[in-house]
Amino acid sequence: MFSKFFYTLKAKGLDVSLSEWITLNRAVSMGLEGTSLTGFYYVARAILVKNETDFDKFDLAFEECFKGIKSDNANITDRMLEWLDKSEMMELLHEEERFWLNQQEDLHIDKEDVETKFKDRLKDQDSEHNGGNYWIGTMGKTSFGNMGGNIGGIRVGGTTGYQSAFAVVGARKYKDFRDDKMLDNRQFQLAFRKLRQFSSKLDIPKTELDINKTIDSTCNNGGYLKIEMERPRKNAVKLLLLMDSGGTMIPFTKLLNELFQAIHKSNHYKDVKCYYFHNCIYAKMYKTPECENGDWIDTEWMFRNIDSDYKVIIVGDAAMAPEEFYSETGNYRGPNGGLTGEQWLLLLKQHYKKVVWLNPKMAPGEAPWREVETAVKKIFPMYKLTVEGLNEAMVKLMTR
Amino acid sequence: MENNFKSTGEYIASEELMSSVNIAMALEKPLLIKGEPGTGKTMLAKAVADALNKKLLVWNIKSTTKAQEGLYTYDTIQRLYDSQFGGENVDDISHYIKLGKLGEAFDSDEQVVLLIDEIDKADLEFPNDLLWELDQMEFYIYETKKTVKAKKRPIVIITSNAEKELPDAFLRRCIFHYIDFPNQELMEEIVKTHVPDIEEKMLKNAMDTFYEIRSYSQLRKKPATSELIDWLNAMMIGGIDPDIIRKELPFVGVLIKKDEDLEVIRRRVD
Repeated sequence: MFSKFFYTLKAKGLDVSLSEWITLNRAVSMGLEGTSLTGFYYVARAILVKNETDFDKFDLAFEECFKGIKSDNANITDRMLEWLDKSEMMELLHEEERFWLNQQEDLHIDKEDVETKFKDRLKDQDSEHNGGNYWIGTMGKTSFGNMGGNIGGIRVGGTTGYQSAFAVVGARKYKDFRDDKMLDNRQFQLAFRKLRQFSSKLDIPKTELDINKTIDSTCNNGGYLKIEMERPRKNAVKLLLLMDSGGTMIPFTKLLNELFQAIHKSNHYKDVKCYYFHNCIYAKMYKTPECENGDWIDTEWMFRNIDSDYKVIIVGDAAMAPEEFYSETGNYRGPNGGLTGEQWLLLLKQHYKKVVWLNPKMAPGEAPWREVETAVKKIFPMYKLTVEGLNEAMVKLMTR
Repeated sequence: MENNFKSTGEYIASEELMSSVNIAMALEKPLLIKGEPGTGKTMLAKAVADALNKKLLVWNIKSTTKAQEGLYTYDTIQRLYDSQFGGENVDDISHYIKLGKLGEAFDSDEQVVLLIDEIDKADLEFPNDLLWELDQMEFYIYETKKTVKAKKRPIVIITSNAEKELPDAFLRRCIFHYIDFPNQELMEEIVKTHVPDIEEKMLKNAMDTFYEIRSYSQLRKKPATSELIDWLNAMMIGGIDPDIIRKELPFVGVLIKKDEDLEVIRRRVD
């Protein structure tokens, strides 16, 4: 039954399992959707989507599959199935509708055009207006306002009604929940919770008395004391945070500040160390984000004193000129230490077992115009600084 | 449908939420509720129980809760104690098996509503440990070699504050609902059920201010329904003049709990 919807959901990146799909079919055959498209929308969403961050993807898939079914009358289910078989027709009707709407007022569905006209009209209008077809208001046919009938217009504020599935879908009100958006502090903290490795799972001596097990064993032992010990359960993860500071990173100051705060609030690490660098890592690491010369440590000192079992998170945009990366005199702020930026990074990789690079403005896929970024990607696994990227990076840090 | 959930006198649910509850009941699957703190997730279970006239069992989850506790516990110490002092029925282990909340729900002769509150507080593996029990609605007591099977499948409602990600296998077995923050219209209805004798003017001014405050994106913790209701109550008891609400923000501490947020609001309102 309507398997096109299933594949559209998959194509939008929703991981719908077969068992959930069967549940949906069962629900529909039980008539739970109340034979209305809105009902179907809610039933399908409740069964198939398990995270509000995925609502937006679901809305997009739903719109793609069921676009064109406007009315929300009874017995829509049969028609829905029909539509899905003849999707070209649906497109056609949609076109027709659009054409008709455009005829009503010689507007072309051109975003910029609509926007300009919107602004002009906003200037002219000085009162509330509902139901007409020129002014901005509600329930009208003009391209502007909300709850209106025009397709491709601008929606002005307001919240969606519950009347029609498309009022909900079209509004894309779950857009902000998408997890490929930039993060806030709390989401950072949640992601960092992934970085846990309980010492009870490590190979260390059992030094703590396990009271519950002792009681159980003693009782099983007929009342004679039998002591049970266990490994202390503490997070054994140690973190080394290296942050790019200044220059091209300035637009991301707030984001980095949040990241920094989040790490300090997640006080469950055994140890956190933080150093700064400018553009690329060279012979010195700065102690403060101001990166003032003199207020620094030797990068080699860091290698010697901060063990290789620290997990390293490098945050930076990897945006620098190729000579800053490949030349032995490329560091224009401090000493190069006889090595190129690339060689320093390779040294770091050699020393630490787990390193990830987080980039707030990473180019998707291959980006030959960002030569250095591509080169850095070859050395360290690089992730974009979003919820999704950070989570992936944390998983990378935790896997052996 | 025999069981059908609607808004009750005390709990106003959106149409979306009602449909989710009814779907979960019809499909006999647990309903997982997520949403901002203070949007009435816990209240929902009580409302469902009231609306269907069923008993409500609440299993509050804490960070130390283990799945086993919800099923049953075996009181070895009591048994040892009894054996030493010659208590009765020491041979009978079942005497020392105490059912947990989930066990109670299964064992009940009547269908009950079981609320598993704040499941995300527990250990990451906690939901996985309950997969079989929630799916099959039965569990096995090793000590007595008995299976406890649900006499009447309970209606299970689970709430989560999204502090931890829940495992996929668990999610696939649930019906999911995200409680949106209510819009002004729905909120007025909700408020009126909790504070029935409120003046229109006070309500309107307070609501406008409340939604204005919520729209400030810099807030760390946005005030939610429960804060609004407390705030309205405080202002009514204090006999505040509705006209000064927007300007003076009386009792704002009820609404905003963080110093930084108070700062933000003071700056914006002035």
